Amino acid sequence: MIPGCGLSNLLLQVALPSAARPAVIAVGVLYFAVVIGISVWAARRTHTASDFFVGGKGIGLIALTVASVSVSVSGFAFIGGPGFIYAVGLGAMYIVLPAAVTNVMGAWVLAKRMRLLGEARNLITVPDAIGARYRSRGAQGLAAIAMLVGIVGYMATNALAMGVVINSIFGVGLGWGIWIGMGVTLAYSASGGILAGIYNDVFQGTLMAIASVLVFLFVLGFGGGLGEISRTILAQDPTFLGPWGKLTPLAALSFFFVFSMGSLGQPQAVHKYYMLRDPLQLKWYPLLKTLGLVLVLLLYFSVGVGVKAFVLNGRLPALGSPDQATPSLLLNVTPIVLAALVFSGIAAATMSAANSFINIGAAIVTHDLPVAFGRRVTDELRWGRLATILIAVAAAITAQRSGTMVAFLGIFGWGLFASTLVPALAVGLNWQGATREGAIASILTGLLTTLALETAAYLKAFRFPAGVTASAVAMVLSFLVFFLVSWLTRRTAQSAIDSDVRLVMEL
Amino acid sequence: MTESGETTTTIVDNTRHAALVALIAGIFAIATAYAAAFLPGGTPPWAPWLLALGIPIALGAIMILGAARGRMGIGPLKYPFAFVVAVLAIGFCAALAIPATEGPLSKLWLGLPARAAIVIYGIGLLPIIVLPVAYALTFEAQTLNAEDVERVRELGREYKTRSEGEQPS
Repeated sequence: MIPGCGLSNLLLQVALPSAARPAVIAVGVLYFAVVIGISVWAARRTHTASDFFVGGKGIGLIALTVASVSVSVSGFAFIGGPGFIYAVGLGAMYIVLPAAVTNVMGAWVLAKRMRLLGEARNLITVPDAIGARYRSRGAQGLAAIAMLVGIVGYMATNALAMGVVINSIFGVGLGWGIWIGMGVTLAYSASGGILAGIYNDVFQGTLMAIASVLVFLFVLGFGGGLGEISRTILAQDPTFLGPWGKLTPLAALSFFFVFSMGSLGQPQAVHKYYMLRDPLQLKWYPLLKTLGLVLVLLLYFSVGVGVKAFVLNGRLPALGSPDQATPSLLLNVTPIVLAALVFSGIAAATMSAANSFINIGAAIVTHDLPVAFGRRVTDELRWGRLATILIAVAAAITAQRSGTMVAFLGIFGWGLFASTLVPALAVGLNWQGATREGAIASILTGLLTTLALETAAYLKAFRFPAGVTASAVAMVLSFLVFFLVSWLTRRTAQSAIDSDVRLVMEL
Repeated sequence: MTESGETTTTIVDNTRHAALVALIAGIFAIATAYAAAFLPGGTPPWAPWLLALGIPIALGAIMILGAARGRMGIGPLKYPFAFVVAVLAIGFCAALAIPATEGPLSKLWLGLPARAAIVIYGIGLLPIIVLPVAYALTFEAQTLNAEDVERVRELGREYKTRSEGEQPS
């Protein structure tokens, strides 16, 4: 594996060049004005904890689909991803290729069962589903703790990413960028909860899709079509357009495994299943979400490949670092209005991801952890808002410290969710032979393995062989432990499922 | 349980059992590939092949596990599932097996050299055309209908009543 091309590259932590032009600032101001307007509207409609955490289970199909696309990509699709392609070629596509199957896989494996569990039990969080499935407060609490650890990392890196983007648009400095971005996100998260988040995501996702399609068309036009772009690259760097790019086959396939199977454990996407107003609308959800994702990811592919060709044929200057691929294209050759749209789209991507994680984190603190200890918070809405503020402020402070520690925190977010939640949740909701002991052992294995391997790698006490990542190893181990312990404790499996949960699993 | 009920349970159990076995086999193949990477002398050439086969098997298996229901098992979904597992496995294996011949004179397929086209258009786009459409077309029969939702709501109401009855006053 090429050094520096691990999961750490999936995060937006680079310094972007200044894009502070009048048009970019004007579009940026307009963007923030729309976000604030939507937030005020949503705050007036948030009256209960259910409104705050799952939008009162009353979100329509189109809104939920666009929102789900929006939180699925983050700023990586606009900056880190194209830069990654520029650095390693088509091997970087194995991160996004799983989108062809993940949405419909999630629909078959999780969407129906989680939405029906929400219907039967009024569940509002992912650990809720684990608690109901295994009739275990311990499993619910452990899942909540694992998610909280992952969220700490994601939030810090998202706060830093917001600071980087806002500084690039407005030229206010990284510190102010972090606080402005987190302040606006916090304002709508705390006032309007997930309702504000969803409708801001709809706006933000639409913006991202429009920006992505326009950039895709621009790159094809500027480069004389994909064939001409390929010819330019093949003449000087044919490995770039090989099926693995400059990665080893093991590394590229590892990405596919982690980002396909791992998608079943990402709470920001899975949590959305509770929110759909009518469970029968799930029929069109995977198709619409997949099409939406394809539109948003057009920029990822076209900029990565296009900029490579434009640098090779001298139409763009050589890049200082791969992450400059998108900014270099936008600030050197695209119309300034398109650049402004994309920069706002990047801000939108980071803010929608941050909002989603703040909301999930607040639900864990005010709902799942008290439930795990056999208690209930009397006013979940009020405490949810307070937890939202605390999480956002803690993330902003952590991000301000910047440096490698923040990068380290962000590296294992995806892998941690995947290794702790996929076996217990995705397999557990579809296999009545799974036991609570198996679930607890699997969650613990995922949590401890991910933390131990990532820490050892961070401290350079251990180096993985080429193509192997901590996320992949932890997820595989978690699966194996889940199956083994469930088999060893199989006598308790059938008796530990409530009748309504059993029906949901059998349908 | 009625005779037809027993038949239904058997079919579903067989489908789910087979899917579970396939999932475990897929995960074992993936685990073996990773374990092999730790061998002295580096990753053996057969390790990526295990991933190329293990990943499609594991993904196909977990989809079948989720989709199996009632008397139908996975019913007509066996065709799209088989198609997608085959597309992924053939795509990965073709990328591994076809020698690297990319160069300035390579024939392009929709703008990409052959091996890249297999990956981008085969693995990345073909499943999009098949799977979500299959999901939507079989939704009421295979996944969820109004009667299912009502049954779940009814049991949920019973659970709530029972839970409230068990709580100390």
